[in-house]
Amino acid sequence: MAIQISKVIKNWVPSKSKVIDFGCGDGSLLKDLIDTKGICGYGVEIDHEKIQQCIEKGISVIEKDINEGIQDFESSDFDIAIMASSIQCLKNPDIALKRMLRLSKKCIVTLPNLGYWKCRLALLLGKMPVTPNLPSSWYETENLHLCTIKDFEKLCSDSGFVIDERIFLDSSGVESATASLLPNLLASEGVYLLARK
Amino acid sequence: MKVKTELVTFKEGIELTSGSKLSMFELMVETYGELNQDKSNGILVCHAFSGNHHAAGESKDDGTPGWWDQLIGPNKAIDTNKNFVVCCNNLGGCSGSTGPTSINPSTNEIYGKEFPFISVTDWVNSQKKLTDYLGIDKWQLVAGGSLGGMQALQWAISFPDSLKKSGIFAAAAKSSTQNIAMNEVARESIRNDSNFYDGDYLKNDTKPKSGLKTARMLAHVTYLSEKHMDLKFGRKFQDINSKVTGGVDFEIENYLQYKGKKFSNSFDANSYILMTKAMDSYDAASLFDGNLEEALSCIKAKLLIIGFETDWLYPPARGREIQLAAMNVNIPCSYITLNGEQGHDSFLFASERYNNIVKKFIDS
Repeated sequence: MAIQISKVIKNWVPSKSKVIDFGCGDGSLLKDLIDTKGICGYGVEIDHEKIQQCIEKGISVIEKDINEGIQDFESSDFDIAIMASSIQCLKNPDIALKRMLRLSKKCIVTLPNLGYWKCRLALLLGKMPVTPNLPSSWYETENLHLCTIKDFEKLCSDSGFVIDERIFLDSSGVESATASLLPNLLASEGVYLLARK
Repeated sequence: MKVKTELVTFKEGIELTSGSKLSMFELMVETYGELNQDKSNGILVCHAFSGNHHAAGESKDDGTPGWWDQLIGPNKAIDTNKNFVVCCNNLGGCSGSTGPTSINPSTNEIYGKEFPFISVTDWVNSQKKLTDYLGIDKWQLVAGGSLGGMQALQWAISFPDSLKKSGIFAAAAKSSTQNIAMNEVARESIRNDSNFYDGDYLKNDTKPKSGLKTARMLAHVTYLSEKHMDLKFGRKFQDINSKVTGGVDFEIENYLQYKGKKFSNSFDANSYILMTKAMDSYDAASLFDGNLEEALSCIKAKLLIIGFETDWLYPPARGREIQLAAMNVNIPCSYITLNGEQGHDSFLFASERYNNIVKKFIDS
């Protein structure tokens, strides 16, 4: 995960809060949040190697496919649910978001913006975009549901999610004032803090 | 590997959860490796239903490997070069610890069916006395599979300050209705053996071997997976020269006959009934009106729960229940599903992933 994104996420996570990280990878973000913010954190991961790395770090990790597993946590009560760089890989991102906001007061999601000008240019030239945050070619990508910033925010308003905070990053993964001017065209990535209505 | 087998006597006895008391008791204990100076490297492993204190290495008597030999030993997942590993035969067992075949000091007769009801909590309480005897304040890990996993869970609940980590493998927070049903069929076959004498068979100088054999054959089926049985035995017919009895056709029949017979020669029928009753009656939440979250809320240990895909006796979902309840009360807790092929028995067999996870959990 880009350093900038984890910095943004860290700012949004309150101290001592209860956090679940869907697709937690090797547990680095949770470890950092535990060490610096004293959170109570749990990770959900499917990759065997990454699960072992979590165990090694002493991170609580639950082996589960986030495509099927989010509803299993619906009886739980988290302060923050994180889904960094995988929402577009899910079978039903809209349902996943609804579920995340059922089990958690707020949720943090990041998403690559297909409306970014370099993506538009690639499509204009008749090719699928390959950018730093969409690095795989069309036949290798795990992304199933790419969207633009505009699309995503429409889904939020249609579904009744409140956008508490949002930050736009440029193609080098840095928060950018320019990108924030015309995010749907100039932001390579959006990072959102969503809340229940 | 340094191995020590010792019979430890507890003259103060033990109050049991049922209200009865054993005025004194003995535990047969085996240890592997050495306890370090500050006594911080202790790992307690709890055996499952028919296991005993012999958890690792080859037995001095007949060379049988310990029940968890695949995981315990030098450089294994539970590394005896680094850790001092302890295992005891549970109270009520029949491998040297006080149980139904022991002499009741108040009557000077064999306990037999008079041996009091023992619970998982009683086992944990007796193991705590062993912990004090060994001078260990805090176990680095308490772990076990199946009924042993229930003990590892109960340890974390009963003595939150006495362990750092708990490994709960192929286990559940309580036995399911199906578990109880299976056990009752097994018990019924023992009780119906004409040599059972209502539990007083030893006084009548006999043993209900036939009932015990049937009980074990049934139980053994529940420990294996359909796939594993298919792979190991298939529908192969038994070689005429290696038939245990003349009446069998398939290899699986022969195998169960062999296993059942072997077990019925070595295990005590009253112990069998007592152990299965302990398993059936276990419910981690029983003192909390069935609220598992409340029961787990006092835990200070980190939990590692492992389920095995092919286990239909204590399937992965039962482990996930513990994980979910622990998470809901903010207890650090990981859950992993392993794809061991041997059904419920998978927890006994090392695999690269199982080893790595257990090793990393201990080292973390």
